[in-house]
Amino acid sequence: MNRVPFSPLRTWLIAQNTLLEAVRQRLFHFIVFLALALVLGARWLRDFNFGAPELKFLADCGFGAMTFFGAALTITATAQLFFSEIENRTALTLLAKPVWRAEFVAGKYLGTVLLAGGFCALLTGLLMAVLWVREGELMAEFPETFTAGRTVSYGMVALAGAFQWLKLAVLAAFGLLVASYAQTQLFAMASGFFVLVICHLQYLAQEAYARAGSLAGELAGRLLAGLVPNFQVFAVADSLLAEDFPGGGAVARVALYGAGYAAVALGLAIYCFRHREI
Amino acid sequence: MDAAAPFPAVAPALETRGLVKDFPVGLRGMKLRAVDHLDLTVPAGVIYGLLGPNGSGKSTTIKALLGLVAPSAGECRVFGVPSPRVEARRAVGYLPESPYFYRHLTGRELVRFYARMGGVSRREVDGRSDEALAAVGLRDAADRRVGTYSKGMLQRVGLAQAMVHDPQLLILDEPTAGVDPLGAAAIGELILRLKARGKTVVITSHLLGQIEDVCDRIAILDRGRLVLEGAVGDLVGRKDRQALVVEALPESELAELKAWLAARGRVLEAVETPRARLDRIFLDRIGRRDGAEEERA
Repeated sequence: MNRVPFSPLRTWLIAQNTLLEAVRQRLFHFIVFLALALVLGARWLRDFNFGAPELKFLADCGFGAMTFFGAALTITATAQLFFSEIENRTALTLLAKPVWRAEFVAGKYLGTVLLAGGFCALLTGLLMAVLWVREGELMAEFPETFTAGRTVSYGMVALAGAFQWLKLAVLAAFGLLVASYAQTQLFAMASGFFVLVICHLQYLAQEAYARAGSLAGELAGRLLAGLVPNFQVFAVADSLLAEDFPGGGAVARVALYGAGYAAVALGLAIYCFRHREI
Repeated sequence: MDAAAPFPAVAPALETRGLVKDFPVGLRGMKLRAVDHLDLTVPAGVIYGLLGPNGSGKSTTIKALLGLVAPSAGECRVFGVPSPRVEARRAVGYLPESPYFYRHLTGRELVRFYARMGGVSRREVDGRSDEALAAVGLRDAADRRVGTYSKGMLQRVGLAQAMVHDPQLLILDEPTAGVDPLGAAAIGELILRLKARGKTVVITSHLLGQIEDVCDRIAILDRGRLVLEGAVGDLVGRKDRQALVVEALPESELAELKAWLAARGRVLEAVETPRARLDRIFLDRIGRRDGAEEERA
């Protein structure tokens, strides 16, 4: 009996199909449209800049749109694209082929990550264009402020976009972990948003536990920090200035941090789905 | 990857030994037994009907054979390979009951996708997909999104994806559900053609007439248990009786015939007017009309 090995090709085909399904759905068009509108419209919202410099405000708007709509897109896509396979029984037909369940889960994950990557690339590209145009206008209007040329580091903007993508990839892995054992799509989506909030705010809990000064609090803080990724880690490139570049070592550490959490969550999702009855 | 890799020639296409499947119901550890100590052997190269009322365990048995649910006890094998192994599904094409496919793909994209998943190479995938779509009569609708297909078309595209990688065994769960009589007849003919090519086909269906027409052997399940199994000819035929069809006889000649039989110790048990089957009349009329329309076109 010839063994059927794990196939990157089949995984890639499942990923492609997942991505195609997402980009042909109106809900995803709507989310992407809203995000694009926010980035494009940010320059007309600059009266609400809360004292921040205009270009920084534009960048914050762009990254805010990426975080908010990217998270909505990732959580919805992960749960919806996974559960549609179970509820519509397309998974039955697919897993009746010589396909490993690990290929199925990895393909679904890869498809969602590609979707998030496309979203982040689109918004980052648009944000860079908006910043470039507005910076050019400001340079013409206030040449004395830009005597040294352009101030925005577009490499930093690209790095921040890449970190947003990495963050969404971690979120997708955790979403898939929940979906792999959840019985309903609603539960999976609600849990995804819950994970998002915990990951964004876990540093506050850690600080609070540290301030409490008790051993139990410290242990709880460490446990939380180990179990749940800290999404603030991915905010290292939010500055627009080249001199704030975090350095290659820091970038690699953040990339490993995100990839590590994503790999563990994905591995657990595969383990859970292996025993699931379709 | 070779889609039609060889399996031991002597192994039956499908085999279950003491198969039990329990599903938990409620919170008190109660279980519903869907399949109850089922021993079943499907020889290679036959058309095999799996019959039974709703809830008799047909679909659960199929899912266990495909490794989609884990047996609570017992074992299943496909061409001698244990079902939980991915290798067991290499030579299998499966059409699920009430199939629902990716609505965002066209029929052609869908069949191509499943062909690649079944191991068809990139070089062959276009030809194989076109062949499969043509075999089920969907060539003209191949570039329409699956979301716009009727139920009958979904069944047909489901059949195309099941056979596109040329598997040795096809498992068709209610293949004619929702299909009109013309489509059902076409599917029946396709199944017979597959058998002629040496394939094994396992069908579940509520249309017992169709099962009788195409199947070599059947098994009847009830509440998860096997209640009857055998060759269709042996089960439905009566070797101690004969029916003679003659032109309509007048009463006097019928009386003479009865007397002739009685003189030889025989009894004429029934005199009936033969009835044509309704599906045959339908196919004859509609098929002929469609043929004439095609000729005019």
